[in-house]
Amino acid sequence: MIQETLFVIALLVFVAGILIPLATASRDQRIFRIVSHGCTVIGSAALGILALLVLLTGDGLSWTLYQPLPGCSLSVTIDRLAAFFLLLIAAVSACVALYTAEYVEHLEGGSRRNLLCACTNLFILAMALVVVSANTFAFLIFWELMAGCSFLLVMYDYAGPETRKAGIFYFVMTQLSTLFVLLGIVLLYGQTGSFAFTRTGVSLIATLAFIALLIGFSIKAGIIPFHKWLPYAHPASPTPISALMSGVMLKIAVYGLLRFLLDVFSPDLWWGILILILGIVSAVLGIIYALKEYDIKAMLAYSSIENTGIIFTGIGLYVIFASSGQPVIATISLLGALFHALNHAMFKSLLFLTAGSVVHATHTRDIEHMGGLVHRMPCTSALFFVGALAIAALPPLNGFASEILIFISFFSSVAVADPLFKVFLFLCLGLFALTSALSAACFVKAFGSIFLALPRSPESSRAQEVPFLMLLGPALLASACIVLGLFAAQLFLLVGLSVPIPDMFLVGLLLLAMAFLTFAVLYFTASREVRVTGTWGCGTPSLKPAMEYSGHGFSEPIEIIFSTVYRTEMKNERKFFDAKNCIFAEGTADIRLMKIFEEYLYLPVARFSYLAATKISRFQNGCLDTYLLYVFCAVIAIIVYLGWLA
Amino acid sequence: MSLSFIIYLVINTLVVLAIAPLFVSIIKKVKAWTQGRQGPSLFQTYFNLAKLVKKETIYSAHSSWIMRITPLVSIAAILVAALFVPLVFVPEPVGGIGNIILLLYLLALAKFFMALAGLDAGSSFGGMGSSREMSISAIIEPTTIIVFAALAFVFKTLNVFTMFSASVASGTTSTPTLILLAISLFIILIVETSRIPVDNPETHLELTMIHEGMILEQSGPNLALMELSSAVKLTLLMALLINLIVPFGLSTTLTLGALVLAIVLFALKGTILAGIIGLFESSMAKMRFFRLPSLFAMAFFFSTLIIIIEVFA
Repeated sequence: MIQETLFVIALLVFVAGILIPLATASRDQRIFRIVSHGCTVIGSAALGILALLVLLTGDGLSWTLYQPLPGCSLSVTIDRLAAFFLLLIAAVSACVALYTAEYVEHLEGGSRRNLLCACTNLFILAMALVVVSANTFAFLIFWELMAGCSFLLVMYDYAGPETRKAGIFYFVMTQLSTLFVLLGIVLLYGQTGSFAFTRTGVSLIATLAFIALLIGFSIKAGIIPFHKWLPYAHPASPTPISALMSGVMLKIAVYGLLRFLLDVFSPDLWWGILILILGIVSAVLGIIYALKEYDIKAMLAYSSIENTGIIFTGIGLYVIFASSGQPVIATISLLGALFHALNHAMFKSLLFLTAGSVVHATHTRDIEHMGGLVHRMPCTSALFFVGALAIAALPPLNGFASEILIFISFFSSVAVADPLFKVFLFLCLGLFALTSALSAACFVKAFGSIFLALPRSPESSRAQEVPFLMLLGPALLASACIVLGLFAAQLFLLVGLSVPIPDMFLVGLLLLAMAFLTFAVLYFTASREVRVTGTWGCGTPSLKPAMEYSGHGFSEPIEIIFSTVYRTEMKNERKFFDAKNCIFAEGTADIRLMKIFEEYLYLPVARFSYLAATKISRFQNGCLDTYLLYVFCAVIAIIVYLGWLA
Repeated sequence: MSLSFIIYLVINTLVVLAIAPLFVSIIKKVKAWTQGRQGPSLFQTYFNLAKLVKKETIYSAHSSWIMRITPLVSIAAILVAALFVPLVFVPEPVGGIGNIILLLYLLALAKFFMALAGLDAGSSFGGMGSSREMSISAIIEPTTIIVFAALAFVFKTLNVFTMFSASVASGTTSTPTLILLAISLFIILIVETSRIPVDNPETHLELTMIHEGMILEQSGPNLALMELSSAVKLTLLMALLINLIVPFGLSTTLTLGALVLAIVLFALKGTILAGIIGLFESSMAKMRFFRLPSLFAMAFFFSTLIIIIEVFA
């Protein structure tokens, strides 16, 4: 009963949060936006408590909102899987709303900001409803609602040419995703005859439905090669929206995939291998591209691709072990994937929010124009640091807690029977380890270039700490990162799952004890003299910012080592005055990073569809007689078809 | 947590702290001998540490709290990592202490802080060191994890304590997989402790230094902590190799006699291994930085070979 009440409260509060700023859209007053964000926080709190109740007690909730036709209804079911994702949505949304309450006031756009608030609330509500959908029909409706809202949110700053390109790109990709999900659901409906999440057997139709759904969810989750929208859409949209899209929306796609895998399909081994390969490729390429990126938000976007790759790796391992009769290891992999989804939601939204604060303070997204912010924005830098430690999978924070679960299931692949397959899994393990080491390098570069050493632009040297609310939201997320890491083993026990995860709290205590003992010993034995002086600048009178190591310089060795992956194209055209090519006249030299996926996959597909559309559009000649002919032909065809059928 | 485990924590930390500078000295001594020099005293590393502790600490005006906490975090992480590798006495594992993946990531934690401290002062040498260190540690990672996976595969456990107990119990040293494992672990040891041919621990030349570049801005007691933590790291990786391949003498019961014997034997075995490292370092030149990936690729195929042998055996 209390579950129903909480759900209705959350629903009503979110609707209020949508309607209040819409009704007052003509008035540019802060109070309405604050009320709207207050609604987000209260609604999220209600959803969070509801999710915790379901997770801890296991008592779910089923409820029909609206039934337009028999057999297709908008109904709600909250089981533990849904509750887990609901908790993720609620936690991130509440913290983001706290941040946005201050951030939105610094945005341009007058009363358009009210619309931003309303749309954000609708977006969060849509995501929550996708997760609690009881059938595929409701799932699809809310999925499309979520996609539409997120498109509007990306287009907030619609006047910028960059935003328009990003918006269109995102719109096409997200519609493509919906199209594939729709195809999958229709195929399933053809197979089972209902929209319910019921189990289907093994058949060709089921396999096709799985492929369609996998593509649909991969596009939304930013899995390579369907990832290209992320690095466009994230830099273009306002910071809280990037945080929500990266932290939460990608996880909704993961939820979709899991829901169908767990409740509908009976997966085959090769499905698992397919998901595993998609995951590993996204993880490795995602982080390699992130290292090359100097736009802070695009870098975080690529790192999101990497982390979704890690989640997909966990899911792939789950399917592999489940279908080779290893339920225990399969559970560990699945828990690893789920836990990483939660952890990534926490630290990625933390990183996006603090990165947004930095962009707000320095007015640039290029990390080469930042630097030295640790002295000017101490709190923001400390919060970003927690996020960086977590995302680099360093103990005792949460990123490590989930990656170790996936490592453990990789290490357990000894249990798989086929020897060649074992070797394959170990090779995947090597790539997986490469990913987490590269992400450490990537975030050393990010933190070092943004916060450490000397400011590299006048804006950066004038930067100031952001207001309290813009610290409070990220601070909550940072503490979640620490708690989820330190108490990972205890939390799993609390929800009644036993996993072979090391006791991170003990490790944390040991670390603290060692640091304290060292400090105490040095305090009594060592010299306490401290002198502060300039860095040695090789004899120059003072250190200039231009003399520091830049972000480009930092990642140069990795770029050279992985140069085959980056595919830079060098053009060198020269003209000479004489025939023997001695006297140089003019020339152009050009070093360009090739956008492989765009040039070899996206553009050909786009060109082909454009060509096909041009051919098809010839039917549409605007002449009434032709249309009558079409109708006539159609009627004849139907008569013939029915005649044969009868 | 039982009493014997707490005693283990104390003994292991004290032994590793006491013996680590000695191994560093031995390597230096061997390298000096091969070059026809007398070399510093075996206690020189202890003297250096004692001298640094008494010196003043100098911070750059541009540096932040990162510079100030890094020495503490680094030594704490590496000392905790050293707890994961029993040197002389193997107790029952408690709460996941000894997990081999966690061990690897504790070393990564220290490295992460060190790399940031290298960037903190704004000096280009520090940045160069950090950048190279992070690149090397990224590309050696697949090899390391495959070797560790092979260890887990051979010993059917993820816990270093259990591996050591198993190797003490069996006492075998001659299985081909273990020899291959030893070679791979040796390569990892050379890379992780910044030795020739990957890095040169002696030089302060900007073209070659990696690890030294990162800690160039450290001074006084902080530098002592950094030096000590890299010595401890060397010792713990050596211990991993020694106690897996030649485990005899490693104590599994907590008696004074067994402990003393274990300490003496470990010091002996460590001295021999340090001598081998010194000879190995003296026998080759430092590699060019961008030639390293091919060395690592070789190590990677080597460790994959172990897996393949194990799988098809």
